[in-house]
Amino acid sequence: MSETKRRRMQMATVLCLLSTGMTALVAPLMAAPAEKYLHVNVEDPTRGESVNVNVTLSMAEKILPAINNHDLHDGKVSIHNAEMNGVDLRALLDAVRTAPDNEFVTVKDKDSDVRVAKANGNFIVHVIDKKNKEQRVDVTIPFKVVDALFATAKNDELDIAAALRALGNAGDVLLVTVQDSSQKVRVWVDSRNTQD
Amino acid sequence: MILLGKIVLGIAGVGLAGAGVLCSEGLIQVRVIEKEPRGHHINVIAPAVLAPIAVHLAPRHDLARAARDVQPYLPAIRATLDNLRDTDDVVFVQVNELDEHVQVSKSGGSLVVDVDNAGETVHVSAPICAMSSTVEQLAAATSNPL
Repeated sequence: MSETKRRRMQMATVLCLLSTGMTALVAPLMAAPAEKYLHVNVEDPTRGESVNVNVTLSMAEKILPAINNHDLHDGKVSIHNAEMNGVDLRALLDAVRTAPDNEFVTVKDKDSDVRVAKANGNFIVHVIDKKNKEQRVDVTIPFKVVDALFATAKNDELDIAAALRALGNAGDVLLVTVQDSSQKVRVWVDSRNTQD
Repeated sequence: MILLGKIVLGIAGVGLAGAGVLCSEGLIQVRVIEKEPRGHHINVIAPAVLAPIAVHLAPRHDLARAARDVQPYLPAIRATLDNLRDTDDVVFVQVNELDEHVQVSKSGGSLVVDVDNAGETVHVSAPICAMSSTVEQLAAATSNPL
């Protein structure tokens, strides 16, 4: 084999190896993003009962617009009396969104503790109902999701499908926990298709 | 002798091809085991490709009633089945109570429902593509009242 042919073969081999290496490096970046799952877990140890629900967000987002029933239509839900006795919900959320991280409401009395805050791009609500057997409710909703709820909907609507879409882009998040003396409820989003 | 061999081979080939076509959409399985002493044990396995044909052969008045009943839910059912096909295998719902366990899952292209309680054990598995075909048969019955 002549020197020129040998060099060409070597060049071709190097190029093949380089392209293989580049493909191996880039392939994971080009792969479709992991499917996100909405999980619901209800545990009642006192009665030995549990309920687990796992649904892909993309599936929920596509099925929801197909359900038209009562206040749910086209992936949106109508909220009646949206201004809530003079309180403009959109204006209130807009004010909270544009405000810096802060505790907006803190109520402590003998019956309940309530805290409403904004932290790290999340809207946070903590409620402890002391009267009702120490029932605790924690809600954490990314503001991207809150924005999506109101962005494309009319004044008296919440865009649930858009919120699910936003939730898919918001990363893993524990959305709701409710705990009382007997039951524990958790709602969260992650990329795993099981609750283990 | 050679001719006989060819005939046997032809029949076997047709049989295999037929079995292949019948099983091409998977199998529907229904298993019911009653737990009482003389309870029934029922196990039915049928090619899923027969499901739409069975709908076609169903009594017309029953089919019309079923079609009317399912009609309001057709868009949601279609959307669900379309999306189920693309979803990875997953347990959608799992309910555990003291005396009853229920699980709805997707496994290998089939929707699987398992119920286990004090009285019986029920297992139903149906390929999603066959469910779609069957639902479309019902939808057709809705749009063309019999």
